[in-house]
Amino acid sequence: MRVEQSVLFESGNELAAYAAKQINYHVMGYYPITPSTQIAEHLDLLKSEGAHDISLLAAEGEHSAAGICYGASTGGGRVFNATSANGLLYALEQLPVQSGTRFPMVLNVACRTVSGPLDIKGDHSDIMYALNTGWIILFANSPQAVYDFNLCALKIAEAVKLPVIVAFDGFFTSHQKRRCEVFQKDSDVQSFLGEYHPDYTALDPEHPVSIGSYMNEPDLMNNKFQLHKAMEEARDVIGQVFDEFGELTGREYGGTDAYKAEDADVLLVLLGSSFHTAKEAVDDYRKEGKSCGVVTTHVLRPFPAKELAVLCRNAKTIVVGDRQDSYGAGGGNLTLELKAALQSAGSKARVISRIYGLGGRDFYMEDAKELLDAGFSQDAPAFGYLNIYPGDENLEVKPYFHPVTEKDASLGLTKCERNEESGKMVVKGGLVSESTRMPKRLAPGHGACPGCGIPVNVNLLLRGIEGNVVLLFQTGCGMVVTTAYPKTSFKVPYVHNLFQNGAATLSGLVEMFHQRQKRGEMPKGKITFIMISGDGGMDIGMGSAIGTALRGSNLILMEYDNGGYMNTGYQLSYSTPKGAKSSTSHVGKYQYGKQFFHKDTPQIMAATNIPYVATVAESNPADFIKKAAKAQKYADEYGMVYLKALSACPLNWSDRPNLERKVIGAAVDCCYFPLYEIENGVTALSYDPEAKGKKIPVIDWLSMMGRTKHLKKDVYAQVVESIQEEVDRRWARLKARADSELL
Amino acid sequence: MMEAIKLPVTNDAGYYEMRLESIGGLGANLCGKLLGELGAIYLGLNSASFSSYGSEKRGSPVKAYIRWCAPDKDLRINSPVETPHLLGLFHEAMAGKHPVTAGVDERTKVVLNTGLSVDEAREQLKLAAGELFCIDGQTIAMESKTRINMVMLGALAKASGFIPLEPVLKLVEDTVGKKYPDLLSANLEGVKRGYSEVTSKQFEPDGKFDEVPYQETRTRWGYENAPIGGVNPHIGSTVSNDLSASREGYIPLFLPEKCINCGLCDTTCPDMVFQFKEGEYKGRKAMVNTGLDYHHCKGCLRCVAVCPTNALVAGKEREHPEKKYFVRNKDLIAEHIDFEAAGPNSWITSEAYLDEKRVDGGLV
Repeated sequence: MRVEQSVLFESGNELAAYAAKQINYHVMGYYPITPSTQIAEHLDLLKSEGAHDISLLAAEGEHSAAGICYGASTGGGRVFNATSANGLLYALEQLPVQSGTRFPMVLNVACRTVSGPLDIKGDHSDIMYALNTGWIILFANSPQAVYDFNLCALKIAEAVKLPVIVAFDGFFTSHQKRRCEVFQKDSDVQSFLGEYHPDYTALDPEHPVSIGSYMNEPDLMNNKFQLHKAMEEARDVIGQVFDEFGELTGREYGGTDAYKAEDADVLLVLLGSSFHTAKEAVDDYRKEGKSCGVVTTHVLRPFPAKELAVLCRNAKTIVVGDRQDSYGAGGGNLTLELKAALQSAGSKARVISRIYGLGGRDFYMEDAKELLDAGFSQDAPAFGYLNIYPGDENLEVKPYFHPVTEKDASLGLTKCERNEESGKMVVKGGLVSESTRMPKRLAPGHGACPGCGIPVNVNLLLRGIEGNVVLLFQTGCGMVVTTAYPKTSFKVPYVHNLFQNGAATLSGLVEMFHQRQKRGEMPKGKITFIMISGDGGMDIGMGSAIGTALRGSNLILMEYDNGGYMNTGYQLSYSTPKGAKSSTSHVGKYQYGKQFFHKDTPQIMAATNIPYVATVAESNPADFIKKAAKAQKYADEYGMVYLKALSACPLNWSDRPNLERKVIGAAVDCCYFPLYEIENGVTALSYDPEAKGKKIPVIDWLSMMGRTKHLKKDVYAQVVESIQEEVDRRWARLKARADSELL
Repeated sequence: MMEAIKLPVTNDAGYYEMRLESIGGLGANLCGKLLGELGAIYLGLNSASFSSYGSEKRGSPVKAYIRWCAPDKDLRINSPVETPHLLGLFHEAMAGKHPVTAGVDERTKVVLNTGLSVDEAREQLKLAAGELFCIDGQTIAMESKTRINMVMLGALAKASGFIPLEPVLKLVEDTVGKKYPDLLSANLEGVKRGYSEVTSKQFEPDGKFDEVPYQETRTRWGYENAPIGGVNPHIGSTVSNDLSASREGYIPLFLPEKCINCGLCDTTCPDMVFQFKEGEYKGRKAMVNTGLDYHHCKGCLRCVAVCPTNALVAGKEREHPEKKYFVRNKDLIAEHIDFEAAGPNSWITSEAYLDEKRVDGGLV
């Protein structure tokens, strides 16, 4: 019996979201990461229009997102998540927990290359890490299959009580829009799935159970054998669900797929969207009389070894294209698994392995032909990389600049000394006009948007820092725009690490510096270590920052807070103002933007009792430079320093680049972003707009930005009132702290 | 299922292919998406559309690709369009700086957003051959209060030779119109004017200009000579990026006689454009603003907004082809730099860009 379908023109991500909407999952825990982010964004948009009822929880990192999902799934409802690349790896620890305790859910993985170096585009290096997690893994090679597999995945998951990953190519499938068919009625999706009856839930006080036993051998052996059996059972269940789905929709899937494979001498085996491209190459070569075909799999776990061996049985040579490498194993995981499958089937075919398409390198029909050519060649090596090149041997790298050395940057523009009487640090100098002397540690030509606040804040900070600096940027706009290979903006040593771990990384470097100085491997002298993070990095990297603060590592952490994950298309961060629209907090009939208040990061950091915490703003440049000098003194001699700058993002704040300093000034004047410092636990206001009669209502600031100007409307009066109350409350507490050394 | 429109021409594999070249923030992405949807929903074809992807920066080069084929044919290719049947160029200034005409031959229809005549435009594009269509998208967009992508959409439909206007209007009504009902009539007007006002001329391969082959861009560092681990020892090398093209029509002009050398411009400039050097001001030794390195100026005009004495004012770039006080970066030790255009010129777009909404997490 066919059920009615309608035609959409959507991308893989949008279709994953559409399927989730139709399923109406109870809970989605997620954390934005390219290229999977659109799934949550699209669901948020649909939610703002009232199209579904899913709780969408933006976690502070993928590890927590996986935790939200796990917790939710123990409650007996339906749970959904989406991630990519290092997000998957960050969540990886939780995956065996989910499968090992047998709670079904569905995770979409828009496959992307794993860092580093950081590359946001597609390959299969992430998904192959999930092979041993006990999750069923379906691989969809078209946007249509993403939709279809998302519906099938949940049914499979609930049948065998295992979680399921629906993987697909990042960008090629996640972002490519295609003509596709979807169930016209959500109710037909619901009847296809049936009701979910969990064996156990943590929400049944009448029948209490303990979930997550501590288990020794030999019980664990038995437990894992149960998991093994469930995975084996999934082989049949996947087939049954695909069959049932095919009857309803006419869209037939097997565990594997093949094109002109039956009589082919040379067979190409590819995973993902490349399968389709290779069909064109096969057609072309068939016209030339070359006997070839292509095979793929729709399932990575349980691996359809027998089916693949059958499809490959007549081929003399099999060329496996891997979109990732299992370094040192002689192929990517697809090669290794296929070789094992062929060996079990007694195949004598020659198997050649080629690594292709890493980091989003496009796969053209010509590339498929090159892979086939290797199969037709008798002396092609068993392993190799496609599309690599040795580089230009005549390239002479000529320096553009001298490094900014200690001598160049020791100008005495600022001097910070402790006043013995008050015990406070006092900064002399720091004149803005004089500070133009400080050589720029960053070169121009970076790729930030016009009017971006990040370089402004970094430069203001560095004006107040004398001598040697070593910089560390966490992932974010600041990093991406300065280090796009083969160029870099930095004229001083620089390190990047992913944004859950910058503070720890820099603290390790600081420690190495101390060790090597102690051992006489490095000359005496000072280096000021500075970490730059966005507000996103202070969400996912909060733990690392707090740990580093508590250890008292000698470094400065400056956060540029533009209130969102701007590098990936402005998803909300915990520092996004309440009410602001973002791509994960849409404004619509059913939603007014972000639902909770901006995070008070300086107070969180102050609670670690580090010697110096301060807020800085480009609207008060002299104050900024002086605080930088103070920060250097504290970091060099006493421990960790935390600075927070409110940083303009004309693109996503939706305002005029030239007016950003005024917008920042307004944020300061309305006390949303008060300027203050906390020296050894004692708070001092750096600027009191109230005392100067300059305090403005917070809506005056919010109205200056496109992302918040909808709040001016009468319907949002209560939202604005709540923001004003919260801002006033925080300001009043701050003043009280400034009045008392004990607070 | 409606009857599918017949594609008048396809490549060997059976596809009709389109490519749009633009920069982030100007609506080429949306235009590509609309063309994809047009094929799939309104013309009864099988259809795919996608864009070149990168970090979400305003002003970055953007390419959108659209592939159509007969409804009963599978769409199998996922790679970028190399030899388009129809090529849309959203900025005349991209010509010469980026290989926007790659893969074009005499069979290609090229639509350029420009105020130039077709003959002038051919010179500017250095177009080897092809049918060149010109449309003054900027003027029409401003007059009709629509956006360049709507005008381009109309012009592209006309240039194709087979896309009727009616389904395009219906598409805009159903999509953009639903989202921005207030702008619907202006947007429809833009599409119609694009469709009716585009002018064209066929150029044969007369040897005047060379064809531009479609090539993957490669850096000069490869596996033999690149430092391991992606480490980059070439300090400050972004200085070789020429970002002039990021400007949206305006530049800061420097009036040194009004300058009090307060240095505020240098604190607000994100692009390290100002060249303060040791000098004399009012008879005293001081750091003196000597000018700007316009290579790196993105035209944000932050400096104009903070200058307390109007020593920096906004000027229209077109009126200042020779920039006064264009001072090379003072810290450079390289004698010569081969500048690389990074971020093509977007000119002044219709004023709507601040109201552009995100679609799918990307700029439209």
